[in-house]
Amino acid sequence: MTGSKSPPTRRNLLSWLLRAGTGSVVAALVYRASGFHRSGRMVWQLDPRKCIQCGKCETACVLQPSAVKCTHGYAMCGYCKLCFGFFKPDAPRLDEAAENQICPTGAIARKFIEAPYFEYSIKEPLCTGCGLCVKSCANFGNGSLYLQVRHDRCKNCNTCRIAELCPAQAFVRVPEESPYLLKEKL
Amino acid sequence: MKLVVGSWQLAVGRWQSTVGNIKKNILFLCDLCASVRKKNFVGLLSSLLCGTFAMSAQAESRFPQPQFDTGHVVPEAYHPSVTAVVSEGTDVALLFVALCVATWLVHRVRSRFWILAFSLLCLVWFGFVRQGCFCPIGAIQNVAVAAWQGGGLAWGIAAFFALPLLFALLFGRVFCSAVCPLGALQDLFIVRPLRVPRTVNAVLRLIPLIVLLFGVVYTLNGAGYLICRTDPFVGLFRRSAPLPLLLTGMAVLLLGMVIARPYCRYFCPYAVLLEVCSRLAWEPIKITKATCINCRLCVGVCPVEAVEIPREIPSASTRAGRFRLFVRLLLLAPVLVIALTCGGWLAGGTLLAPAHPVVKTYEAMVQYTPETEALYPAVEAAKKQKLTRELLEVQAREITQRFRVGSAVAGGILGLIIALRILGLSQLRRRAEHEANRTNCIACGRCYPACPKNVKTIQ
Ligand code: SF4
Ligand code: SF4
Ligand code: SF4
Ligand code: SF4
Ligand code: SF4
Repeated sequence: MTGSKSPPTRRNLLSWLLRAGTGSVVAALVYRASGFHRSGRMVWQLDPRKCIQCGKCETACVLQPSAVKCTHGYAMCGYCKLCFGFFKPDAPRLDEAAENQICPTGAIARKFIEAPYFEYSIKEPLCTGCGLCVKSCANFGNGSLYLQVRHDRCKNCNTCRIAELCPAQAFVRVPEESPYLLKEKL
Repeated sequence: MKLVVGSWQLAVGRWQSTVGNIKKNILFLCDLCASVRKKNFVGLLSSLLCGTFAMSAQAESRFPQPQFDTGHVVPEAYHPSVTAVVSEGTDVALLFVALCVATWLVHRVRSRFWILAFSLLCLVWFGFVRQGCFCPIGAIQNVAVAAWQGGGLAWGIAAFFALPLLFALLFGRVFCSAVCPLGALQDLFIVRPLRVPRTVNAVLRLIPLIVLLFGVVYTLNGAGYLICRTDPFVGLFRRSAPLPLLLTGMAVLLLGMVIARPYCRYFCPYAVLLEVCSRLAWEPIKITKATCINCRLCVGVCPVEAVEIPREIPSASTRAGRFRLFVRLLLLAPVLVIALTCGGWLAGGTLLAPAHPVVKTYEAMVQYTPETEALYPAVEAAKKQKLTRELLEVQAREITQRFRVGSAVAGGILGLIIALRILGLSQLRRRAEHEANRTNCIACGRCYPACPKNVKTIQ
């Protein structure tokens, strides 16, 4: 402990002053940054009203497959037999065969409810967040399919890599306690 | 029956709000032709429907909500809540404990082996488990933004920013010795470190300063977190990343085999702050606690060239020469500051501002023609949000101006620091022993076992 053993010279005093000065600069900075009240953690979410389904959500995330996936706002869905989020525009037939589906990974499940209604749900482990279904549903249907950052996957990067590249500036920080921007509730 | 009524309402409703969307209509026509050629009638039907809606407004909710006769309940989608590995408090407590242990290892145990072992532990925890986010390096930006706006920082991030600095103020860069996962990872790759020539080193050491100053300007102006984006290792910590990110990380590590800790020495902006604190350290890193016998054995083992060799006060004539140099440099300093301020002003407008999303969108709008397809998403997004070109132009100009001012200030500060560094060269003190440089030493402990005095004390 050089500091404590050596006699209190002028040099010693000066270095303690400098040390205390630097320490208080750090403290002041942190104090000002924290404000007077304690704020909790924030997490990333994308605003589905701004999203244009550019496809970056699938590729830009630091995770592969992406932490962004499609979600279904059932309350907005028309339960259409001919779902624009499910069927390709040039689908040979209206059944669940893979060649008829928009989704490249077959992540959308189609379930008959009653004539003429079908319910669509997302098999999340399969979804890659490409947004193809979302785009088609938004353009031709009710827009009940939309993308969301899934918080069981998202690493909550200090800066979301998708946020940096999103052409629509759709990414925002939301409080950890309510981490979704659900289109049907916005 | 419901369907028919529904479609009718729909058709009436949609046709009323017709907005031409040329791109989609062309696509639709192509679709239609293809369907006819292929005698694909489902496709034809859907294309026709698509076309109808494409020509209608972008508005959604085209189909009414069904009323189920079977009493089917519309489900709610499940949205998993945030799964934090540990709470914020635990995070901070662990960082504090890790810093204490590192201090103890560096200053009391003084064993390279245990420092290395502990750095592996920290690499696993802070790197591969906590996955490198958040970290003090990136926290610079959160602190800068929150301090600028006057509040709103999560206390955990504040603690991550401040703790390593306070420890450096007392005990040197113990954070870099073992706790920082980026440092620990690079340390493992040190194989045969080459000497970096002094002048090259001095020039390269300006990069962290530039990253710090301009990174903060970039962030304060809302263009995103530049420092986080330039972290090469985050992909490796997550063992999952887009390929370019992974490759950059690997490349930096491979470079680290011959240039020890390249990110630490020539990029890390947090190191700039740590160095300031570490220079004032209460108990700096000591190669040996005994008296140095000037055997030079420690010089070769230090991977970051932080061992300072003894030096006499130069002769009177050299001192006079140095004094003249000092005066000349003092005259040069204002020139340097002014030049870099102007440089910063220019760079702010031409290099930094275009990275801001609003400026980007505006430029995409200006440059967009159907041939420049890549720009289309930004234009489409702006249209969707009803941002007109005029509105964006005003905003973009304002933002560019803010960038210019910010970078000019950053440039000025950079000039000042460079001038101070040059002036520092002319100020010499006598040094009788081999010493670890207070700013550069990363407390890796490699010199401890190399010093014969240390070996003796252990025996
Ligand atoms: S990057 Fe933005 S616009 Fe593109 S799909 Fe994701 S949220 Fe939508
Ligand atoms: S089309 Fe893309 S976004 Fe939609 S469910 Fe399939 S993978 Fe997910
Ligand atoms: S915060 Fe990170 S993990 Fe989450 S969506 Fe963005 S890039 Fe992916
Ligand atoms: S210099 Fe930066 S990256 Fe290297 S160990 Fe220190 S804080 Fe970590
Ligand atoms: S402890 Fe410091 S001086 Fe010693 S080898 Fe490591 S970096 Fe160099």
